[in-house]
Amino acid sequence: MVTSDEVGAIILHALEALNEDSNPEDRIAVSLETPLFGADSGIDSLGFVSLITDVETALNVDHDLNISLADDFAVSRAQSPFATGETLRDYIMTLAAGQ
Amino acid sequence: MTPHQAEFSDRVVVVTGARKGIGRMIADHFLDQGARVIGMSRGEAAISHANYDHRRLDVGDNLAVRSAFAAISRTHGRVDVVINNAGVLTSVHALLMPASRAEEMVRTNFLGAFYVACEAAKLMRKGKYGRIINIGSMASVLEPVGDSIYAATKAASMTLTGVLAKEFASYGITVNTLAVSALQTDMLEQIPRDTMAAVLAELPLPRLATPDDVFNVVDFFASSASSHITAQTLFLGGAHA
Repeated sequence: MVTSDEVGAIILHALEALNEDSNPEDRIAVSLETPLFGADSGIDSLGFVSLITDVETALNVDHDLNISLADDFAVSRAQSPFATGETLRDYIMTLAAGQ
Repeated sequence: MTPHQAEFSDRVVVVTGARKGIGRMIADHFLDQGARVIGMSRGEAAISHANYDHRRLDVGDNLAVRSAFAAISRTHGRVDVVINNAGVLTSVHALLMPASRAEEMVRTNFLGAFYVACEAAKLMRKGKYGRIINIGSMASVLEPVGDSIYAATKAASMTLTGVLAKEFASYGITVNTLAVSALQTDMLEQIPRDTMAAVLAELPLPRLATPDDVFNVVDFFASSASSHITAQTLFLGGAHA
């Protein structure tokens, strides 16, 4: 079972990977408090796709956790699980507990 | 050494529907050129080769496809070329088409190609390189009687090619379709001879295609030199929209 710290590390690693592909002026804070989606986020739509893909792939390949983050349940939740790294981590732990 | 032997040596190539027909031919073709080939099909492996790895799955099962590509990532670390070939055909008048067969064609021919392309692209984007080749059909434009769902899934695959080509371009991934005419395969045996003769007669080049006709285009789309070729559908035999 993947731990909350491991999931947090995966998210931070994905944010770092995003920065590596970005211009210096577009880089974002590598923190679980970083907004991932919405008006406050500095991540563009392609970057968001890369971020979610990296996180899903790491969970699948490294932890054998086959989950889809952008599913109907995520979209329908009152508070978006993609608001910050922290909310995404908590959402992943909820999904992991259900498997 | 064939012209493409150096090009494809040690490439990691995924071929769906690799047990027989066009998929088997293409898998053997890449193995002959030194590639590492991962075949996918619902049945057991039909190829025994040191560079061949087989994954038994239904490409229409998204979870199975995701698991297979996670395993490929762990084993091979990357994917360079995908041949989206898996397909099923039930050729029968629309009023007699069993719903289960119609749904199976949509799931395998269309959704399966989408699932495989997406999981492959997730691996390809890391290396900023990839070639996705969807196997289409002349049926998509000739619209033969009896092929309502089959032809529609292949037409949908062409549209899918165009959109994925745009979405994957920034990752260095090209997406193209090879629309084959008729080859002597098991699938062709399902179609009455007079029906096939009538369909072939509509082509500017009215003959069965050969494996070399297929390899010629696959090699072209799969080549690293084809980095500026994407969103294209190439019809064998001269069929056209």
